[in-house]
Amino acid sequence: MILYTVMPEHLLFPVDAAEYEKKKMVYYDGIPFLVQIVENGEYEIVQNLSTNPYHFLNAKYAPGARFPISAATS
Amino acid sequence: MEKERYFQAETEENAETKTDEATAAITQLGQTNIPQMEPDTNIHCLTIVGQIEGHVQLPPQNKTTKYEHVIPQIVAIEQNPKIEGLLVILNTVGGDVEAGLAIAEMLASLSKPTVSVVLGGGHSIGVPIAVSCNYSFITETATMTIHPIRLTGLVIGVPQTFEYLDKMQERVVRFVTKHSNISEEKFKELMFSKGNLTRDIGTNVIGPDAVQYGLIDEVGGVSQAMAKLRQLIEMKKGGEGKMIQ
Repeated sequence: MILYTVMPEHLLFPVDAAEYEKKKMVYYDGIPFLVQIVENGEYEIVQNLSTNPYHFLNAKYAPGARFPISAATS
Repeated sequence: MEKERYFQAETEENAETKTDEATAAITQLGQTNIPQMEPDTNIHCLTIVGQIEGHVQLPPQNKTTKYEHVIPQIVAIEQNPKIEGLLVILNTVGGDVEAGLAIAEMLASLSKPTVSVVLGGGHSIGVPIAVSCNYSFITETATMTIHPIRLTGLVIGVPQTFEYLDKMQERVVRFVTKHSNISEEKFKELMFSKGNLTRDIGTNVIGPDAVQYGLIDEVGGVSQAMAKLRQLIEMKKGGEGKMIQ
């Protein structure tokens, strides 16, 4: 199916509101991260939002790493 | 063999936690630890990737740069006395005009030296962000699409809508011409040219052409950008109290 329209895709096919809830921004060790909730009460890092390039060298802060929800602040 | 023995010796001391950490690292990332480095750095790096998100949250599968993440970081960079310079890396398709201009204005008003590098693409509203820094680089293969602004969604068909759109476009044009060496005539010519993009108005400017038009300062990558940033930091330190630029 090809739709010839100027409307953006997300207006034509809106995603479920629950999808938005899956990802959120939290601070862990004072560093902002985009995370998603995984089973067993942990957050999985999706994106490291820090501007400090050294935060990207630590495997603990790499995408895919997990940390307990209780360790996150705000 | 060497590695195995090393691991064995370590696991004897602290058997459980060590093996747990190692397996977690392998299952989650497919990699083991990278040596840790000095946490303090005088140069911070801001990445503008994917779509620049505006007031409407984009679906989670979109890769976005959110202004509510970026703006506090720019404020923190301005505030932290240990940070002396900022490197901005762009690989964006563009996005919301207001959010893009907000980030560009924040970068332009930062008191610390800033250098931008366009990698891959710095399209549409990425253009003002690229030129907002003190010095801008573009890689040889990177491109920037310059096109008129668009409005999606419900629009009232009255002349005022057009005027509003025209005013918004004027803000972008003014910002770009103020912060780069391109003339307004040339920028508008690129913006309204026909036959360059498929069924669209505008121009796709490639690395060296962007430099030729005066939009970007130089063709180069990360090493040139870092060298320039260090030079600007030195200049700022040397000329403290004096006018620079």
